[in-house]
Parts: sequence; structure tokens; C-alpha cells
Amino acid sequence: MSETKERPRKEVEGQKTLEAGYVTVEDLKKAGNIPPDEIAERYAVPIIDCLEEIPCTPCHDVCPTGAIEMPTMNDRPRVKWEACTGCTLCAQACPGLAITIVNIPFAKKMFKRDDLALVSVPYEMLPIPKKGEKVLVYNRGHELLGEAEVFSVIKSPRFGTVLVNVVVPKKWAYEVKYIEVKR
Amino acid sequence: MSQEVDRRIYEHPILKFERRRPMYIFFEGKKIKAYENETVAAALYAAGVIQFSYSAKYHRPRGPFCMIGKCSQCLMRVNGIPHVRTCITPVEDGMVVEFEHAHDADLPTPKQPIHVEKKNLDYDVVIVGSGPAGLSAAIQAAKAGAKVAVLDQSPVLGGQLIKQTHKFFGTKESFAGTRGVEIAKMLVDEIKDYDENIDVYPSTQAIGYFRREKVLVAFQTKSLGKYTLLNLKGKSYVVATGAMERSLVFPGNDLPGVMGAGAAQTLMNVFGIRPAEEPLIIGAGNVGVIIAYQAAQAGIKVKAVIDILPKTAAYLVHAAKIRRMGIPILMRHTIQEAYGNGKVEGAVIYEVDDKFRKIPGSEKDIEVDGVWLAVGLTPSVEVLELMGAQLRFVPELGGYVPLRTPFLETTVSNVYVAGDASCIEEASTAMMEGKIAGASAALKIGFKNEELEKERKAAIKWLEEFRSSPHYSRIKQGLQKVLIQG
Repeated sequence: MSETKERPRKEVEGQKTLEAGYVTVEDLKKAGNIPPDEIAERYAVPIIDCLEEIPCTPCHDVCPTGAIEMPTMNDRPRVKWEACTGCTLCAQACPGLAITIVNIPFAKKMFKRDDLALVSVPYEMLPIPKKGEKVLVYNRGHELLGEAEVFSVIKSPRFGTVLVNVVVPKKWAYEVKYIEVKR
Repeated sequence: MSQEVDRRIYEHPILKFERRRPMYIFFEGKKIKAYENETVAAALYAAGVIQFSYSAKYHRPRGPFCMIGKCSQCLMRVNGIPHVRTCITPVEDGMVVEFEHAHDADLPTPKQPIHVEKKNLDYDVVIVGSGPAGLSAAIQAAKAGAKVAVLDQSPVLGGQLIKQTHKFFGTKESFAGTRGVEIAKMLVDEIKDYDENIDVYPSTQAIGYFRREKVLVAFQTKSLGKYTLLNLKGKSYVVATGAMERSLVFPGNDLPGVMGAGAAQTLMNVFGIRPAEEPLIIGAGNVGVIIAYQAAQAGIKVKAVIDILPKTAAYLVHAAKIRRMGIPILMRHTIQEAYGNGKVEGAVIYEVDDKFRKIPGSEKDIEVDGVWLAVGLTPSVEVLELMGAQLRFVPELGGYVPLRTPFLETTVSNVYVAGDASCIEEASTAMMEGKIAGASAALKIGFKNEELEKERKAAIKWLEEFRSSPHYSRIKQGLQKVLIQG
């Protein structure tokens, strides 16, 4: 065994491949998990990063409007976009924390702007951000997109997962998948 | 080692650590703070003690590997009693803990008197193991009206569910969306509903079996120095003994700080103790990536999760969860060595080609203070072996596993298997297997219950559907090799 003394140590970076867990918006588009623009303008939409046939049904089970179709437990979730009310229950329930809710119509109504989106991001870390706080938002590869303001924070009483609702430029709507508190 | 070291976690996004009465124990003459519901090993780890024992021949320092009473690296002398598994021994006020050199010429002898009481007990169904499989089996057998005994070597019931902080996959029938820790509570509560039928024996280790008399011998620790030797005669048995984490061969793999990822998870999530500050995780399957995520929740910075395979074997959603947090996942990478002076201070990793050969010059030397191994599990079949069940080596299922009927009866009549002891799979499948085995163990010995038969049928159907996922095709193949007709 080698001695510890002075060794040139390195930091390592994660690989940017699907094989190493790095999903891209392109992958999701190919899988049909990103809605057409005209749909996203009209409805809240769940963006489900679920690309494999795994035995898992909570999103389908909790959906109050039957918007997430799953004929057998191993089928991938299929969203009927028009049926989603944006209630966020699926994002709270998903064991993979794989669901964000992109809500463009809400941002339009709330902020009277059509270049923004409200994104609900599941979060299970500390500290929990506060309403109005600026947080860092990241894409699926932990690349920093920028800062975003927290519109609200919901702690799911049933599932224990926190949803952080952030206001982001519309162009980031599908990219945002993770937040970090700067404090 | 300074007394100031405290590796306990005080804030956690999911868990609240309830620390009961504070007390002190003495380790090699040093006073160490502990809490009533900690084990000796947990209290030592919290105080920064990571070296627990020495190897037999070269006296190399060793630390705990499994933290669940399966390996022997945490054996110490406690209150004069040698060979105490400190990881499953609750602390008692004023306990004296010492190193022992287990294989030295002078075999240790206890310095304090030992009281052993003997008991002969009859049950309808005796269940070894109180994890998801064992508890589910106990509930089903009790539903049928059977008198049931549940044994576990751990002082708490729930098996490895008690450290699973993530929401479970699966369906409503397997409590999907609920965290493992919550499922453990639900099952234990249900056991309490049947307290007229179910007797629970915690801190009890199955140590032998008389095949002709069909009697299981177990050893219960009441408190250190006070034991009960149980002769349990069951009309039927369910063996749900779970699994043991695997090690990996590399120089330095015995350094204190190298441990099973599940051991790290026990320290973090059961006791609220940080096993390391900057660990490296080997194995990017579900266990490796889930534990990396839980480490982040405990405030630990995981340096990297590496795996020799080209593609993660984990569910993509689990891998993606840590990837987006910035925890590096490196596929086609493995460990060359762990090094350090008496503890892990660094590790060298390297990349491999398509034939798993080292790519020259690809070594990276990284500073880590722990190496956690998530390289698979081996079914714990020792009790089944004692009972005479026929085993077969099936790599798809994790190693030696018993032959079994569709109702999970082994080649020994009235002896059933369930959970990871039958095949390395999931907690959800363990619960379903437990239901099948528990119901069958009761039905076989004459209990009649239509509802139970229906539930057994539903569980079998559920398992079939669950295993039809492409993720479980290997397991499905493996199961074909051990299936026998009843």
C-alpha cells in the first residue's frame, strides 16, 4: 500500500451520458414526454423524466383526473395533456422525484407576462427555501441556468416531499430540474 | 482522538432522530457519550472511533463492515464479555468496551458471570427474520389463526426497512410512494394488532437446528450477560434472513472506513451519524445511487459513484436524481486501491475498456475518507442450510439459494423461504413473498382461511407482473432454475 504524504489528488466530474444518468430535454422529446408548444401555453404540464419500463405506479394512482395513463405497472407513464389540472400531486408522489410541473398559463395570469413559467421542483434537501428567496436553478446535468425567485413552497403532507415553485424564463421551463439554496 | 468529535446529524430533511436518555460508556478508558437507543458501535462511531478490531495474522486495523450483525469486524470485549457484536448490542450506562485480539493464543474468557436460562416453546409457525418478508409472513399466518414466533438478531424489528428513507417504487399493494421507514412502522403496528397470536423475540439469533426433532435453537440476549436459550418447535417455519453485502477485492479493502454502503446507510439513517464526510461509492446500481442521495441529505459530499459496467444498472430516475445534484457518476471505472494510515485517506480509481482491462494512464487519485461498497448482496442462507434445504448456486439470484415450490416451500417439508434469502430483489417483492410463505406455512399445517388463499393468489400474480419489467428479466431467468413442483 502506498504512503499518503504528498500526492497529486484530483477532483472528478460526472460523465454526460444517459448511461451515467444524464438525461437531456432531447431524450425526453424523443420519448414523447415534452408537449407541443400550443399545449404548454394552454395547460399546466407534468414533465416526467421516466424513460424506462419499471414497476412503479404512484403518479398514475394519485392523479385525480386520470391524466396519467399506465395500462400495466411496467408501462411508462403517458400524459393526456388536456386532462392535467396542474395539481402537482404526481410530482409529490413520484419516488424518483422525476416529475416537474411546468405551468405557463398560471405565470401568464399571475404576472401578466408571456415569457415566464412557473415550475414546481421536488426537493428533499436542507435548507428549505422561503417564499420570495432567490435560489439557483440547474438542469439535469447540474449545469447552472441562473437564479430564480421562489413563488411558493409546498410541503406535501402525504408524501413528505417539498415542492419548490420557482418563476423562470419560459426558455428554461423544461430545463429546470434542480434547485439549490444559496444561504 | 479528541472527545470533542461528534458525528451525529442534528438536522435532516426527512428524518427526526429521537435520542433518548444520554449516558456514558468507556472505550479503552476514554469516556464516550451515548444515547439509550444507540448501539455500542454507533456510539463509538459517533465519537470518531472507526477502528474496532484487528486481523488475525498481521494485526491490521479493521472497522465495521455491515452494521447489521452479519460480519465479524465489530467484535469487541464489552463488560468483560468477549466476541460481542457491538453493532447490534444496545448501550448500557457505564459499559466498558475494549479491543480484543480475537485470534491471539490466549482465548478470551469472560470476566463476569453469565446467566443462561433455558426455555422450550411450541409454535405453529416460527419465522426467522423480522424484515419486510418476515413481518408480512407473520401477519398472514396470524390472520389464519396460527400461533407465531418472530425472531430477529437485531434489537429492533423491521429489518433493513428502518433505514430506507426514499419513497418506494411499485404499486398501492406494495405501499408505493411511501418511505421504507414508514412501511416498517405500519408493519410493526399491524404485528401489534395480532399480539395474541404473535410473540416477538428481538436480539435473538438462530444458532442451530435439530433435524430429527425439528427444533430450532436460538439465543436471546436480554441484556449483556443475561441470555435465554430457546428451543423452538414449529409445525412450520419461514426463513426470511435477508442478505449480506458483498466486499470487493482491492488493496486496502480492509481499512477502517471501507464498508458496505448499507452499513453507511444504517449509521446515517437509523442512528443519525455521518460515517464519512467525503466518501467514494463503488457500484452505481440502485443501492449505490440511492445511498449517494441519502448521503447528500445527511450533509455528506459524495466524491463520486463509480461502476465498472458501461451503463448504470439502477433505475434511470434514481441515477438521474443524483446526477442533477452534481454527484459525479463514472461508468467504466473501478477502484485500484484505497490507502491511508490506519484509515481511508484516499483512493485511486481508473477507467476500463470494453473487456474490463485497465486503460493505461487513466488513474485518478482522489481524496476521500470513506469507501462504500454497493457491489451486490449475497442471500443469507445459513439457517436454511442447517435445516437441510437443498441449495443451488444461481448468479442471477445473488448466490446460493434454496430450491422452492411456487408457494415458496423448500425441499424440507414445512420449511418456507421469503425475501432476499430466496433471491436478491426488492423490499416490495420481499413483502409479497412473505405473504405467500406466511399464508402457505399456516395453510399447510391445517389452518383454513379463504381470504388468505385469495391474498396468496393475488400476491403470486403481483410478483409475476412486477417481474415482467425488463429490469427483472435476469431474475426471472434465475428463478426458473430453482423452481420445483410441490
